[in-house]
Amino acid sequence: MTVRAIAFAIVCCSAVGAYAQDDASASAEFRAALELAAANDPGAIDAFERLGARRPITRWTDDAWSEAARLAELGDDYARARRALEQVIALGGEDRLAQRARSTLSRLTAMTGNGAWDAVAKEHERLADAVFGGDDPRAELAQLEALVGANPRYPRANAMRRVIAIGWEQEGDGERALRWYRDAAAAGTAEPGRYADLELVRALIRAGLLDDAERRLADLGAIASVDRDGLAAVRGQLAIARQRSWVRRGLWALMLALVIGAGLALRREVGSWRGAGRRIVRPPSEAVFLIPIGAILIVVAYMGNPLIAHAVRTITLGGVAIAWISGVLLEATRARRGSVGLARMAVHGLIGVVAVASLAYLAVDAEHLLDFLRETWRGGPSVR
Amino acid sequence: MRLAAALLLVAACGGGDDRGPVAFTDTGGTLEVPGCGYSVTTRVGAEPPRLATAYVGEDPTPRLVHLGIVGDPKTSVVAQWRTVDETTTATTLRYGVGANLAESALTETVTGIQWAYAATGSDLPRMHQVHLCGLEPGTSYSYQVGSPGSFSPIYTFTTAPDIVAHPDAEVLYAFVGDSRGGYDVWGQIVAQYQARMPDLILYSGDAVTIGIVQEEWDLFLARGEPLFAQVPVVMAHGNHEVNAVNFYSQFAMPGDQENFGFDYGFGHITVANDTPSDSGALTGSTVEFLRSDFEASKTARWKLLMHHQPMWSASNHGSNLTLQATWGPVVDQYAIDLVINGHEHEVEITKPMRGGAVQASNADGTVYAVIGGAGAPLYANGNEFWTEYSEKTNGASIIRVRRDQLVLDAFRLDGSAIPMSFSKTKP
Ligand SMILES: [Fe+2]
Ligand SMILES: [Fe+2]
Repeated sequence: MTVRAIAFAIVCCSAVGAYAQDDASASAEFRAALELAAANDPGAIDAFERLGARRPITRWTDDAWSEAARLAELGDDYARARRALEQVIALGGEDRLAQRARSTLSRLTAMTGNGAWDAVAKEHERLADAVFGGDDPRAELAQLEALVGANPRYPRANAMRRVIAIGWEQEGDGERALRWYRDAAAAGTAEPGRYADLELVRALIRAGLLDDAERRLADLGAIASVDRDGLAAVRGQLAIARQRSWVRRGLWALMLALVIGAGLALRREVGSWRGAGRRIVRPPSEAVFLIPIGAILIVVAYMGNPLIAHAVRTITLGGVAIAWISGVLLEATRARRGSVGLARMAVHGLIGVVAVASLAYLAVDAEHLLDFLRETWRGGPSVR
Repeated sequence: MRLAAALLLVAACGGGDDRGPVAFTDTGGTLEVPGCGYSVTTRVGAEPPRLATAYVGEDPTPRLVHLGIVGDPKTSVVAQWRTVDETTTATTLRYGVGANLAESALTETVTGIQWAYAATGSDLPRMHQVHLCGLEPGTSYSYQVGSPGSFSPIYTFTTAPDIVAHPDAEVLYAFVGDSRGGYDVWGQIVAQYQARMPDLILYSGDAVTIGIVQEEWDLFLARGEPLFAQVPVVMAHGNHEVNAVNFYSQFAMPGDQENFGFDYGFGHITVANDTPSDSGALTGSTVEFLRSDFEASKTARWKLLMHHQPMWSASNHGSNLTLQATWGPVVDQYAIDLVINGHEHEVEITKPMRGGAVQASNADGTVYAVIGGAGAPLYANGNEFWTEYSEKTNGASIIRVRRDQLVLDAFRLDGSAIPMSFSKTKP
């Protein structure tokens, strides 16, 4: 009895010892494979698979298969990724790694229709990278269009449609983008939340088609499966867009009125349209003074943040124009009346301020910077 | 009984007290959490934290359940929620060891603490917290929260692994930020995350447009609930949170909830507030904090720093030069592996940086990643000398931490992988 117990203990101990040895060498092998992976060595997956297949099983076996799966998915080799995940699951663990392997396997299976769409998914990944990361993705966008056209039943076809829409919108082809937003919405009526529909409304708002957006929203309001909070948020966006569109129109009308008013006033001071025309082409001292400053301002803006530079350019050029008109008008008034009264000067100055403020708003709005400006205002500037 | 100490809470508050909410005071306050070895502090604008009573209001249905961390994530977790009526002061959690258990298997009961806070556009929201301490590492627990007669669905959480016993432990951090205003995008990201099963959520700030508006927090939390109820969330303060009492009331976090560090798996995560209410702190006490937390965690296998505004970015706001000048040298000195930010609504990752210059390999520098695509209106991405990859896109990331490896993988809303994988190994 005692002898047997001792023998058993010896067997056990040597087994534990062997296990520890296997474990240490597996640990080293695992680390070596990680290094290959970090160096983007294509042999990394092979190294993980070799370690996974090696027996006896060590604590690194499941980790090796799990890393092999991760790399295979990153390399768009879904079949290989699924096989590796099945190996993790086959080890029978119930820990986090095993649970995650099951979850990842079902994600990959859903994404590729259990292998039926592996090639399409791979192409989807490649083209999405080109659309979001490339400089001129128009060729890839056309390829994506062809791909989704040929594979309408691909599980992520609608995600692909939305990628195409985003891509064309970024390329400035609003009409083609809207067509794909519409297609995605039409194809996505069974999807929970109807996000493709909400995305379409947002795209309509961005394109300035506010009436279309309004009609669409009204339709969606009656559909139960539409994400309620999303719907409310889009409604809010539409309301803001409407407000801004009114403000924009109002300010343009105001600017137009100011230009006409300035023209009429100039004619009155000078006495004839011909005389007014002669005066307006001669730069007043204000403009002569402002032009070099404006030029510097524009150059500096373009050296800094190019996003804001467009707005700075518009505001500077517009500001010079306003100063020009204002200067010509003041000169003409002085020439006729000898001097400009305080009240007249005050009104003139006030109108100038209103014109510059309207111009600044319109320039910022045209560059879609209103929200950005509001955020910076609230959050404090962060220096570049 | 492993939770004996925490259960003292039950004894302490007793079952017989059925008082409802007392008159609201906004002084804030501190309460020791028995058995956990730490206390909970609320800010001005909130009531002092109080022990739960037995009082149940008109509709005690629990909602917006989310987990947090104050103590060691290997052995503790905090469950947080509100009720529909906002007046219920009963605060109970039932749990059992094991994933996806039935209600009958939730045999342990713990009561917690609660307080109300002032918020714009809302009645006084009332937070409920139960702190579970003395848990087993790397173990799944099923739980539900609420009050007798009105409990939430049953959720499962898993404590952080013990890395000494499990050198092969792998943990996944979900890392993302900037959902403000785009809560349906945020909801889709949450769904993507659920399939990826992270262990911890690191959120880099700007969850809402303006932190004092409760309505937006409710949207954010409601969308996040399927994830947040199972995985603890740690937030960095973003400029849009405006140091609101709502932010500090809703997220249980270590220390002062602004600047703190903690270990999870093989990673040490330092979190800092880069828009503190006292802006002088940014270049003063916060730098001191970074130095001391980095010093204390010097031996950590992997070092991460999370804050909101990037020191290196080629997007709309650009690099934050103040942080670059004052925090950058400390990051360099302690060789932080990965700095994670938001603020820019796009994704970008830098080359390894040190002393303001690009380094030859990850071993020689710190990589800065911005993942600000959780739903806020997208910004243009850019390319500067430090840019490794950038993309204007809605997306999110997973940071994978093993003993010998730190990896960041990002994905878009359509599930496609963003080609910006960061992978670093250590011998
Ligand atoms: Fe933001
Ligand atoms: Fe921000």
